[in-house]
Amino acid sequence: MAINTGALRGGRPEAPARPLAASRSRTARRILLDRWAARLVVLGGVLIIASILAILVVIVGEVWPLFRPAAAERLSASLVGGPPAPGDAVGVDEYREIAYTITSDSLQFTPLRVGGRYPAIPVPGLEGARITAVGESARGRHLLGTSDGRVVELDVKFQVEFKDGKRVLTPQQEFGAPVALDPERKRAIVRLAGVVTGSGPIVVAQVGPRDLVMQTVVEKKALIGAPRREASLQALPLEVEGEITAFRLDGRGDDLILGTSHGQLVRYDLRDKTNPRPADRSAVSTAALTLVQFLNGDRTVVVGDGAGAVSTWQLLPSPGGGAPRLTRIHEFERHGAPVVAASPSRRDKGFVTADAAGGLHLNYGTSGATLLRLADSGGLRGATFAPKADGIVTVDEGGRLSHWAVHNPHPEITLATVFAPVWYEGYAQPEYVWQSTGGTDDFEAKFSLTPLVYGTLKGTFYALLFAVPLALLAALYVSEFMHPSVKAYVKPVVEIMAALPSVVLGFLAGLWLAPLVERVVPGLFLLPLVETACILTALLLWRLLPLRLRQWVRPGTEVFLLVPVVIAGAWLAFGLGGLVERALLGGDYRGWLLSALGLTFDQRNSLVVGVAMGFAVIPIIFTIAEDSLANVPQHLRAGSLALGATRWQTALRIVLPTASPGIFSAIMIGFGRAVGETMIVLMATGNTPVMDTNIFSGFRALSANVAVELPEAPEGGSLFRVLFLAAFLLFCLTFAVNTVAELVRLRLRRKYRYL
Amino acid sequence: MEAPVQIAASLNPHASAAPLMETPMVEIDRLSLWYGAKQALRDVSMSVPKHRVTAYIGPSGCGKSTLLRCLNRMNDLVDGVRTTGTIRIGGSDIGDPGRDVTELRKRVGMVFQKSNPFPKSIYENIAYGPRILGVKHRADLDGIVERSLRSAALWEEVQDRLGDSALGLSGGQQQRLCIGRAIAVEPDVLLMDEPCSALDPIATAKIEELMLELKNSYTIVIVTHNMQQAARVSDYTGFMLLGELVEFGVTRALFTNPRDKRTEDYITGRFG
Ligand SMILES: Nc1ncnc2c1ncn2[C@@H]1O[C@H](COP(=O)(O)OP(=O)(O)OP(=O)(O)O)[C@@H](O)[C@H]1O
Ligand SMILES: [Mg+2]
Repeated sequence: MAINTGALRGGRPEAPARPLAASRSRTARRILLDRWAARLVVLGGVLIIASILAILVVIVGEVWPLFRPAAAERLSASLVGGPPAPGDAVGVDEYREIAYTITSDSLQFTPLRVGGRYPAIPVPGLEGARITAVGESARGRHLLGTSDGRVVELDVKFQVEFKDGKRVLTPQQEFGAPVALDPERKRAIVRLAGVVTGSGPIVVAQVGPRDLVMQTVVEKKALIGAPRREASLQALPLEVEGEITAFRLDGRGDDLILGTSHGQLVRYDLRDKTNPRPADRSAVSTAALTLVQFLNGDRTVVVGDGAGAVSTWQLLPSPGGGAPRLTRIHEFERHGAPVVAASPSRRDKGFVTADAAGGLHLNYGTSGATLLRLADSGGLRGATFAPKADGIVTVDEGGRLSHWAVHNPHPEITLATVFAPVWYEGYAQPEYVWQSTGGTDDFEAKFSLTPLVYGTLKGTFYALLFAVPLALLAALYVSEFMHPSVKAYVKPVVEIMAALPSVVLGFLAGLWLAPLVERVVPGLFLLPLVETACILTALLLWRLLPLRLRQWVRPGTEVFLLVPVVIAGAWLAFGLGGLVERALLGGDYRGWLLSALGLTFDQRNSLVVGVAMGFAVIPIIFTIAEDSLANVPQHLRAGSLALGATRWQTALRIVLPTASPGIFSAIMIGFGRAVGETMIVLMATGNTPVMDTNIFSGFRALSANVAVELPEAPEGGSLFRVLFLAAFLLFCLTFAVNTVAELVRLRLRRKYRYL
Repeated sequence: MEAPVQIAASLNPHASAAPLMETPMVEIDRLSLWYGAKQALRDVSMSVPKHRVTAYIGPSGCGKSTLLRCLNRMNDLVDGVRTTGTIRIGGSDIGDPGRDVTELRKRVGMVFQKSNPFPKSIYENIAYGPRILGVKHRADLDGIVERSLRSAALWEEVQDRLGDSALGLSGGQQQRLCIGRAIAVEPDVLLMDEPCSALDPIATAKIEELMLELKNSYTIVIVTHNMQQAARVSDYTGFMLLGELVEFGVTRALFTNPRDKRTEDYITGRFG
């Protein structure tokens, strides 16, 4: 092939070839760079979304166990010596390794994890009598009542030793000497209750269908020798009809709660031991009451009846004042058969109820919820909730022992206890309370997030109430009226305000502003009025000034003339405030607030937070709002002005509506900032989780609550997880606000897209 | 000399040709204007006759818009503007510092080069001016809106969608809406700064037709780069150059027989 390439190339000019090639390679490089930049941006965005999602996953992962339903499984069942004695005749050790039952003549230990059985230990001193009733006076302390009217004390303990790193449990028991409660030793003891109080033990025994005897032992210190014990025995009068079917003493020995075959619940007041008397009674049921039990803390009474109903009762001040009465708090899920046993958890307000047909319910006293229903063997006679609330041991009439493992780490948390009002012990009605820790072991944790959400919204509300008008008016002034040369300074200064660490603001608010505000509250409330009046007067005077004088001031800088006016207004307002306080409020506004309006005054209150948080929020709202106002096309302003509108009319009717998407998002971003703000609310309020609208009281915000309590919360505990739930709520709140803001903004923007 | 012939061909046959019998609406006397140190208008004197269309032509940057904006004092909004000389509209001096500019602007309406409807409904765009003036009753506003839209030759096109956003109108419709908006407050003078520069020939023709219609009730001052347009619609034309009003007179005379060499150069396309 004889192709003359030279000829082919002939006509083409040589010179432009190189620049063209160069530009092509440059273009290739540009495309490559472009592609990489785009990828980098996408990667960054994906990373951000992924990390936010990861945070969300962690939070949800921590929260989720709170709402997981309780679970239980039956681990073993074993036969023990014989049928249990009536009453609290079953118990288990802390580790659920060894259970014990009390039969008609002996104490029987049974290992739960391994097979076999310990030899039965006969109860000493029975002298041929049988054990007819068992009452538990404290953990592991039982009172055994005999068929001949005597009582034997029994103390069961488990000694824990560690051998070669292994736990070895040795059961121990100690029997007391029998004491006769029926002097003639004829009547059998049907039911027993006992308690050891500070002043000595009390034992109440039922010796006939309607006969109760109470033995109190008072220890008297002797000058020489051992203290003398003086026992006294008295019969308790029964003033209701029917037979006694259940009773129990509270842990302080103050009250005896008694149930009858007619469904009556009677409270005996034992505070005066020489004169026990029935204090009040309530009709609980039409069926016989088969069970009375106290929850941990001895404030709540569980009552079960022959029809299977379970309810809790508390001693509350009666509505019209007067003596406290037993009041029904919750009804629990019904059993299908008579309730035979109830055992409280020793760490919270949970309890187990068992019925004669083998139904086992796991209930929670605070929430009134039945968390778990189990089917055990029929004919249950006794049940005990393990000391760590992680297991149940039941015994049936045939002497069969069942061991259940319960997994329910957060019994006190349901959606209702976190958000709805809850009837806590000692409260007159259901309320929203946050109180995560208390001084005593039987403290009832109160995990209502509602007051915290309320606090967050309250703080945000007051902050926005303060910040939004100021920031928006400032933005409007700066963008529409201020001289550009002044604006060039004002805007960056306000933006620097946004960089102020909130801990500094919080510190100033708590330690400087709060005491200051406290002194000038009346003046503070007069301030807006007085300032407005002063500024309006100043404006009026300004208009009256001859034109020649007015021209001295450059347009757009008139605002500086207002500075002395504002200062004078503040001085006037605080002066007037003092006057008003002396003249109208009796010299002390706090006293007046309390007596006239019923408002209490805290030094660190919502007003202080509103102002301090307002300062944190103002720069954000101002900056974004000002930007969007300034971005309103100039030709719209010109159009309005050319129609004879004043600048003010133009600003209000044209600029403001056109900038509304930006202004809306400014407010929403301010809202989001205020919701999440922690340090200011932490330092400038008293952090009391109260729920009221009073501007002079403090509050506790979700964010501050997490900051305050998380260091104290044991990992994995209910408090820990509830704090994560609070964090989750915060997340949702800001997410919702931002989403709504974005949606509204997009809608508004679409409306103005042709501008 | 081709251009003058062309322009002469588009001259408005209805334009008045006898300048001496007109009543002046706007009288400008020795007006000079400085943007800071830069002088934008030099000693401009002229009068705009009532119920006529007066056009300003001239190369870009010669001060036409500046002169127009002096008539409703929109230049006040520019920082560092200084003027000397006087402008009278309807016999009263508008430069009086004590004078309410909003009142002046109600009497001197303005239509801008780029149509600038407010981001509101068509109805609200027209009603804006009357509302500012304090018209509150819906019935009154309805009447004004209809009248203004009819005057702006837009009524037929938008009467069914008065509630729709004005931003959804076409460019020409938007510009007519702006004209309607300006005449809704019933001004004496209507200023138009290159009202058709962003429009296609058909929309332009509509607006030009509209101007001829409107001059029966309003005094119109228009700035345009399009000499044919000036020739078509205006009765009087002023030629400006470097802030100076070089020549001002009856349109026909200015285009067919310019007195100044610079005018002639400009209209024959020799510069600009
Ligand atoms: N706001 C302003 N600040 C400073 N100088 C300005 C301002 N407006 C206009 N000028 C100057 O004044 C001169 C006249 O401007 P003007 O806008 O009146 O011109 P024009 O004749 O309308 O031009 P065009 O035909 O391009 O619209 C120009 O040199 C311009 O740079
Ligand atoms: Mg111009």
